[in-house]
Amino acid sequence: MTISRLALATASLGLLTIAAAAEPTEYPLTVQNCGQELTFNSPPERVVTIGQSGTEMLYALGLSEKVVGTAVWFNEVLPQFGEQNSRVERLADNHPSFESVVAKEPELVTTQFEGHVGAQGSVGTREQFNDLGVNVYAMPADCVGKDNLVGGDGTRKTAFQIETVYQAIRELSTIFDVQDRGAELEAELRGRVEAASAKAKALNLKDASAVVWFSSPDIDLDPFVAGQKGIPAFILSQLGIRNIIESDEEWPSVGWERIAQADPDIIIIARMDRRRFEADDYEVKLKFLKDDPVTSEMTAVKEGRLVVVDAHAIHASIRIADGIEVISEALAKAGLPNR
Amino acid sequence: MTPLCSRGAVGGKRATLFIGVALLLVVVIAVGVCIGETSIHPRIVFATISNKLFATDFPVAPIQAGIVWNYRLPRIMVAASCGAILAVCGAVLQALLRNTLADPYLLGISSGASAGAVSVLVLGLGAGLLSLSVGAFVGAIVAFGLVTLLARAAGGGVGMQATSLIILAGIAGSQLFNALTSFIIARSANAEQARSVMFWLMGNMSGVRWPDVGLAVPVAITGILACVWHMRALDAFTFGADSAASLGVPVRRVQVVLIATTSLMTAAMVSIVGAIGFVGLVIPHAARFIVGVRHARLLPATALTGAVFLVASDVVSRIVIPNQVLPIGVITALVGAPGFAVILLRARRMR
Repeated sequence: MTISRLALATASLGLLTIAAAAEPTEYPLTVQNCGQELTFNSPPERVVTIGQSGTEMLYALGLSEKVVGTAVWFNEVLPQFGEQNSRVERLADNHPSFESVVAKEPELVTTQFEGHVGAQGSVGTREQFNDLGVNVYAMPADCVGKDNLVGGDGTRKTAFQIETVYQAIRELSTIFDVQDRGAELEAELRGRVEAASAKAKALNLKDASAVVWFSSPDIDLDPFVAGQKGIPAFILSQLGIRNIIESDEEWPSVGWERIAQADPDIIIIARMDRRRFEADDYEVKLKFLKDDPVTSEMTAVKEGRLVVVDAHAIHASIRIADGIEVISEALAKAGLPNR
Repeated sequence: MTPLCSRGAVGGKRATLFIGVALLLVVVIAVGVCIGETSIHPRIVFATISNKLFATDFPVAPIQAGIVWNYRLPRIMVAASCGAILAVCGAVLQALLRNTLADPYLLGISSGASAGAVSVLVLGLGAGLLSLSVGAFVGAIVAFGLVTLLARAAGGGVGMQATSLIILAGIAGSQLFNALTSFIIARSANAEQARSVMFWLMGNMSGVRWPDVGLAVPVAITGILACVWHMRALDAFTFGADSAASLGVPVRRVQVVLIATTSLMTAAMVSIVGAIGFVGLVIPHAARFIVGVRHARLLPATALTGAVFLVASDVVSRIVIPNQVLPIGVITALVGAPGFAVILLRARRMR
């Protein structure tokens, strides 16, 4: 009951947004982005996306013809964009070189991780791009309330808010003058996130806890797990689950001793196509959990409460809705004690 | 140490010292098993160990038992082996090369290991099939091979010249592999990878499990025995390779055997826990200060002290900052450097 009513409410909210945002963009347009001011005289015609979140967001906004290069992929592209994506050159699976990006003569570069274009940008700094007349749009999810110069993948000062994903949809759709499509996409995502969250909260779980394991530099070494203020932590809190990790770093490395002692109810494992580390393979992670003499004694492993979720779905992207849905679904089946 | 003491009294004192250090090792190991990232009551720790060793049946939660038996105990045994190995290698190389600054990484082993680990981690050598450890071991052996080839090609025969050639070749090799590591990181690593590599290279015991014990302990025992076997030759080398030759020591053979032994031992350690600094340099000096320069006493004393030192450092690395494990190499350097200074000052006063 509650779920359908909530879904209805969000849907009507979405309709309202569509009606309100339908005015066309007036150029020149100025956008504030991660402490920078971007100016557009017309909708950009050529875009390179560094980071899958930008790539798929532009595809979802119907802008695939403007994307001339992509990079930084965690998972295969969403099936509905397979055809569009096959027409776009993938510059690199991980981060591309500066020259390979500018060789595409983009007017706009979008990045998922500010680390790629920030002060110590591993692809290039914003200034380097700006000097060549290229605008850089960094996803607000990775710069609002986050210091990307501290910790391995940055450290969050304030917890991630999904609003920054919606903000990116609104800003990009304004930049490209496709507000209607943007408003539709935002409303759809809001509806799905609300529905999945409501479903999980309706379970009324009694202090359910989880850990989110992304990867490990070597299978036996301390794993990279989700910190308490990042995107996975947002997903967990949205679903009413407690994250056992208490670190502000985005992906802190925490010892198995600590994780095993905390003995979370669920272990969430990232699945990705990246193969930088052995433990990038989710099957390697599953095998470790079942074979290691300590982790195999953990409740979540014994009860089989291991949830595999796409790495990209626990990042700030349009797939965050998939992530929330997958985990919510798993919770419903987990049979955890309720209040 | 003072000439006024009779030989017997000095010997007795030293025996007491030995027993003291050995007891200290036992105490440090016991403390090490009880202290970790999370708190586990000593009663549970000893119940677990008793359950495993003497098949007793104390009730212990399986996770806690697993942590004690499968994480903490192997970690401590590897730390002890590693400390003993690094310290003994340092003592042997210092004598062999007649250089007080010699340490186990002199022959390019740590820089080779870094380059190997970085190649696996950053360049993706082995496509996810090679582990960091294998990469590090291969890198260490390649670097060591190159350094010895270089020393040999540069005409390393017998005598003083030969030892300084080995040291120079080692410096050249280390620089080369360090440059290679920097190159790979600068060219293609991101912050996350650079952090993993650096963290691991400064010494990381978090991944140590029983199979590592199966490697570390036999390597430590056989390697150290091999060094002890050559203790008289090492005594002779302290006066220089020429004097050793005149005393009838087969200089070339002993050099080859000992350098190969220490290098293999070090490479094996580096591949398990990374390049932990300062142990191989400082501990031999500390031990020499306690038991004198004769290798019959120096080598066992060095091994014991090295083991105690590294186990203690590992414990400190786990508890000094709450919720974070420091690389053990940071602790050995932080404790080792001032400790070394104290030894130097006291040695001066003794003279």
